[in-house]
Amino acid sequence: MNRLAFSWLEFTLLLPLIGAVGVASIKPPVRAARWSLGFILATLVGAAVTAVTFFSAPESASLRLGTFKADDLAAPMLPVLAILHLLTLLGTSKSRLSPMFCVRLLLSAGVTMAAVTCQIGSGLIFLMVLAALLPVWDLKSRGRRTRGFLFYVGPFIALLLVGWNFARGGSPVWALGLLLLAVILCGGMLPLHGWLPTLFQRAGFGTAMLYVLPLIEVVAALRLLLPHAPEWMLHATSIACLVTAVYSAGMAVVQNEARRFFAFLALSQTAMVMFAVMAHTATSVTAALCLWISMILSLTGLGFSLRALEYRFGPLSLREHHGYYEQVPGLAIGFLIAGLASVGFPGTIGFVPMELLISGSVQQGLGYSVTLALIAMLNGIAILRAYFSLFTGKRPTTSVSLQMTAPERTGIVIIALLVFLAGWFSPAVVASRHRVAEELLERRQVLPPSPPFSGGRH
Amino acid sequence: MPNHDQLLTTLGLLIVAAPVGLLATFFVAFLGQHRMQEPTIGRLIQGTIYVSLFAALGAGATMLVRGVPQHAIELGDWVIAPNYHLKFQFILDLLSVSYVMLTLVLCATIGAFSTRYLHRERGYNRFFVLFAIFLTGMVIAALSDTVETLFAGWEMVGLSSVLLIAFFQERPAPPRNGLRVWIVYRVCDAALMLAAILMHEINGEGDFDHLVGRQAWPEHDPLLIGSHFALLGVLFIIAAAGKSALIPFSGWLPRAMEGPTPSSAVFYGALSVHLGVFLLLRISPVLDSAPWLSWLLVMLGLTTAAFAYLAGRVQTDIKSALAFASLTQVGLIIAEIGFGLRYLALIHLLGHACLRTLQFVRAPSLLHDHHQLENAIGMPPRAEPAQWEQRLPIGVQRWLFRFSLERGYLDSILERTIARPFVALFCGFDRWECRWARWLEGPAQPAPTAAEIVTKRS
Repeated sequence: MNRLAFSWLEFTLLLPLIGAVGVASIKPPVRAARWSLGFILATLVGAAVTAVTFFSAPESASLRLGTFKADDLAAPMLPVLAILHLLTLLGTSKSRLSPMFCVRLLLSAGVTMAAVTCQIGSGLIFLMVLAALLPVWDLKSRGRRTRGFLFYVGPFIALLLVGWNFARGGSPVWALGLLLLAVILCGGMLPLHGWLPTLFQRAGFGTAMLYVLPLIEVVAALRLLLPHAPEWMLHATSIACLVTAVYSAGMAVVQNEARRFFAFLALSQTAMVMFAVMAHTATSVTAALCLWISMILSLTGLGFSLRALEYRFGPLSLREHHGYYEQVPGLAIGFLIAGLASVGFPGTIGFVPMELLISGSVQQGLGYSVTLALIAMLNGIAILRAYFSLFTGKRPTTSVSLQMTAPERTGIVIIALLVFLAGWFSPAVVASRHRVAEELLERRQVLPPSPPFSGGRH
Repeated sequence: MPNHDQLLTTLGLLIVAAPVGLLATFFVAFLGQHRMQEPTIGRLIQGTIYVSLFAALGAGATMLVRGVPQHAIELGDWVIAPNYHLKFQFILDLLSVSYVMLTLVLCATIGAFSTRYLHRERGYNRFFVLFAIFLTGMVIAALSDTVETLFAGWEMVGLSSVLLIAFFQERPAPPRNGLRVWIVYRVCDAALMLAAILMHEINGEGDFDHLVGRQAWPEHDPLLIGSHFALLGVLFIIAAAGKSALIPFSGWLPRAMEGPTPSSAVFYGALSVHLGVFLLLRISPVLDSAPWLSWLLVMLGLTTAAFAYLAGRVQTDIKSALAFASLTQVGLIIAEIGFGLRYLALIHLLGHACLRTLQFVRAPSLLHDHHQLENAIGMPPRAEPAQWEQRLPIGVQRWLFRFSLERGYLDSILERTIARPFVALFCGFDRWECRWARWLEGPAQPAPTAAEIVTKRS
């Protein structure tokens, strides 16, 4: 091993953190944003090279950094997470930019990418706690109350730390139960989901997206719980996730505020991913891993369009028809294609994962498939209802131009390309995700159900 | 491979590739922010349809001359995973070639008509983009040989139809009606998706020939017996009923008339409304698996025909009257399929689609036509002779009139039994959640002043 070899993973993980430190000292918001954009773009390049290096030379030294490693699970997620952060930055208008927002964005990029690559349990726990504190910072900086969010985050951190401490020490099922509770609290599973729509309403839209969409809880479920949790626990959680997905899909249909609509849509998708993980069959875990990628990209696109609309027209109500299509047709198209991709419309990035998920669920029973088809149906209805509310109707008259800005145009082009062209890579992605799923499930067969985490490394 | 096989494969692929290429052109134009001129769009549309149509005619002629009853075009396996197999495959046979020719002839007619009809209309480009999605969806669905391929085309047709219903988006009614149609379409999409999954469970693949045998349509090899085939049949019937506006989903058809006349003609008079019929013709051997399925279809068809006849009698606008006249014929075609008269059903479908398209495109000039007729014969046309309804007791006549005027109360039944309880339930949940979130947040605090915000930002 050449110790002087350039480590792409090191570059990818450290660059946003260095950027956060650097940007914190810049006062003018636009300048801070420019620097942040540079750091995020460089991070995206690093993440893409890391992923390509992994698939061409999996044993390369450039894929390791201490306890962090770009393995089969993490390698494709790095560029996806970098794109999420890049689009969030591109979608933030100049009037809403602040140096501290840029710092939080860069920190979030570093923390989430470190979390997916982290190979030891305690590291992952630490990073999950760190990620949960970023929205609190955002709420504080906006002068909003944090009590509601802390009501959930406090128990989440406590459960995570206590559960991890006892599970590591060799304690049995109840410690795993605490960890599982922490994970489903983080994922917003019913009835512990109240923080999620509230966060979208109170915090910045971008900050909420950066906290919710990476789905770090899926990493925790895959690395910490799946190998050790008993069968009954996973089964019960999968049912809770399915109920959450149905509930939040129904809630998304009746929402009258765009942010709450987005929050419930994201919750429904998250719950489907978690259901697929907890179902722990090779097909369902493959579907979960594919859906994880497609969900991040498609919901990022949807959120991008909503944020751009909010900057122009203020808080968006879904009670009446606004007619924004005539003003910003590009955003309307972006909203529609990203929304349809999130519900698995054919030809988009979400099609194969949704098909895989619903087909894979037959192994659990036809009732599960019917429920998942129902969820896809409700989400599709919610998307088009929101589209009609926002983009049809009598067009507003304005004295200023509301056309898309250059960064917004770039963002929409990136979204459109990703949503359509990434679908063509489905075969390779599914094959690689299937390999990961089998490895994860093999680990579950090899390792004893308890005590878990001996040695702390996985 | 003999030469005519290669020729048929090339022609078959060309039929599909031309509309896909058209969509790709529109996509590239969108990415490049290029606004196409009306003549360019017209030429692109006509050119594409002619290429596809000549390829279809060539394929049909080759099959007739060479005596080829069917020809499968395999595009290979797209995704292969244990328990899941996604394959795209097309087939040229009597049913598919007839239907694709019908599609292309009618789309060519309507395309040429629309370039003049919508000249300088706001949304000209939007109309033709949606028209291209519809054309691609129809061609893919018509030639599909796997249920996934059919599903892809089916969804594209559904989406484009709904967006065209909402074409005049400044008025409130079109988007509202578009959403209603979308809801019905999503229900039938879910049924089709479940049918696809069941097919995978039965055969391990979604190929139709695994289900109906390798003989050319309408012959089939296997005798399909078993409860799972009956369930499959029911799911296909639900899917077809939604798409073809059969009872109890008939309420959407008059709502679909909100769209521009060319789209009403090609979608609800001719092609889209027959897509359900096409599906039932394609999977007709499944209907033979249980006699009660065929009887169910006969009852469904005849009931729909009777209902549509009655509803059509009281319509006061020509497009709605034509829509119900279409539905009457669709009901009869469905009954013919139930009776096992597959050739008759196909011929009925082709003839009816052509006639109805002509009637729809003449609909806007109905008054002009009547004036011409009056001028030609020198007096008003003869009054309509007494109908059988007038021989009924007056009470029954009134009831029938009310029943027809209210369109069989189908919409209100669905609204009262499904939509309202659903909305009330989830709105109740939403109110409860908002109260809970407010309670957690504590008493409302005054909004920060602008000075405070600036201080915090800095």
